[in-house]
Amino acid sequence: MSKPYTLQELLIITAAREIHDYEKVILGVGLPTTAGALAKALYAPHAILMMESGIIDFKPLVPLNHIADVHAIRGFKYATDLFSMFTMTYRGFVDVCFLGVAQVDRFGNVNTTCIGDYYHPVKRLPGAGGAPDFISYAKRTVLTMLGGEFVERLDYFTSPGYLTGGSTRDDTGWYPQGTGPKTIITTQGVFGFDEKTKEVYLAQIHPRVRLEDIKKRVPWELKISPDLKETVPPSAEEIDFIRRFAPAQAIGRKLAMELVIKNSLKGGKDTSSKN
Amino acid sequence: MTQASKVMSAQEAIERFVPDGCELAIGNYTVGSCMELVSEIVRQGKRNLTVYSQSGVIDVEVLVAGGCVKRLVTTYVYRGGGREGGSSVERALRNRTLEIEDYTNFEYCARLMAGVHGFPFMPVLEGVRPTDLFHKRSFLGEDKYRIISCPYTGREVLTVPAANPDVCIVHVQRADREGNAQYWGAMGSVAYAALASKSIVVSCEQIVSEDIIESSPHLTIIPAFRVNAVVEIPWGAHPMEVIGHYNRDIMMYSIFARACSDERRMKEWMEEWVLSQLSRESYLEHYIEKFGLHSLNRLKARPYYSAPADYGAAFTSMWDEHGRERNMGITREELEDFLRERGELYE
Repeated sequence: MSKPYTLQELLIITAAREIHDYEKVILGVGLPTTAGALAKALYAPHAILMMESGIIDFKPLVPLNHIADVHAIRGFKYATDLFSMFTMTYRGFVDVCFLGVAQVDRFGNVNTTCIGDYYHPVKRLPGAGGAPDFISYAKRTVLTMLGGEFVERLDYFTSPGYLTGGSTRDDTGWYPQGTGPKTIITTQGVFGFDEKTKEVYLAQIHPRVRLEDIKKRVPWELKISPDLKETVPPSAEEIDFIRRFAPAQAIGRKLAMELVIKNSLKGGKDTSSKN
Repeated sequence: MTQASKVMSAQEAIERFVPDGCELAIGNYTVGSCMELVSEIVRQGKRNLTVYSQSGVIDVEVLVAGGCVKRLVTTYVYRGGGREGGSSVERALRNRTLEIEDYTNFEYCARLMAGVHGFPFMPVLEGVRPTDLFHKRSFLGEDKYRIISCPYTGREVLTVPAANPDVCIVHVQRADREGNAQYWGAMGSVAYAALASKSIVVSCEQIVSEDIIESSPHLTIIPAFRVNAVVEIPWGAHPMEVIGHYNRDIMMYSIFARACSDERRMKEWMEEWVLSQLSRESYLEHYIEKFGLHSLNRLKARPYYSAPADYGAAFTSMWDEHGRERNMGITREELEDFLRERGELYE
């Protein structure tokens, strides 16, 4: 038995394992920044972490609140601006990019803008941010989905995956060959994209997850890899890193917020003298 | 003739430079936003603004909840409480009191970049063409994007129009009395939002002397001659964060996040933290009264200084310590004698 972990921890750890040493990595808001910190600490010490706010080459000390959080790092090596960060990506200098997903379709197209009608939405989600630009030009993109959903048809098409599958993305001439989403990581498993059809398939299943439960959340007949693997359970070292580095992310946003508010009602426990 | 001082209160700056119905750019991006200037706009009941925001967080939420915004040009909006929660932006869209035009981060920034440099448009990254960002258009209609033919390659080029908002409000670490504004940290599009705009209102944590600015020009993102108003507001971004001054107030942010998912609670939050406060001083007094001084103190940054950049040079006068010109090797008297001898002095 491995050390007990939460689903958020498993997702972060699985994402971190996608980062290879010496890669130039764009980290999106939320869990990816913690995945970057974990990778840099444990497996990819030379990875260059970057964020679209223009912060390049940093080592996080505490979890980042957002993609412009210089408070969470002690210095960084290059301070550029948002415009240059994207033209750098356009020119092919970014290896891998991590993006969060609210809705994703069978060809890896993504919605992070709204649920329902765009002009008068049921839910207005954050929006595009830099996602469409990064998924267009980063050499590969890793999608992370926590609480999002697979859908037959996106309510809003925010970021281009493989369009209508096959060679349709490449055929437009708008994207460097070979770019696009490579993986979707959820709290249940890891999905890949078929080399030819570009349709999503289940590549890896997380420990103690049942295949039926994954299928239930996909509204079409999900393809399964013939050599479906089980995700290697998180190591004690990986779990310890996250608990130490990002305790609030380990337990999840909702529970963390509950504790923060509880603490504030007690008058805000003063921890300043101890840290 | 002496110029009237640009140093003024937030109240005066907003009264003078943010008229109803104007195009207002929020200069800050995700971090350190100009929260006191935003609060003042709400208190003055400004209406029908078209707001430009690279990434709308609590600042856009407060402006929308305050009923100030008619149109929003942005790439990202805040959603308190995550997926289950809601936001003032969401409610305003649903109630049809707000129109939104969504861009990607790069395209939004490219509109400002064109504006900064006086160009009519900017080429942008064509990857967005199959998406709804390109297809679904709001108040900008056809002018959200246009496609032109590159005169050199003949290829299709996607473009966005320049943006030159009427006024930019922006919070920075420090500025001098003339308005030279210094900002460091996540550069985002802060400088572009300001420089693209027709007027600029700068709020800062601290007004500093001219010589501090002169010894660190690499930190200046807006030159004085472009700035119309300078407002000194310590804690001017709270509950957001300013590097070198204070961290984000997670407790206050969590309270806000919960409030903005619900209309009634948001109203109460606005009443308590925006409308009932006359200024940042009274806001801080209320905060300290409610949560204790320690809650504020624990946010204060501990210094981590940038290594000074040496702007030193070999000399500061053309005359050396012996009174000789450094390159010609002669004294002032010798110089005059020489000119007289050559018949170049008109006496």
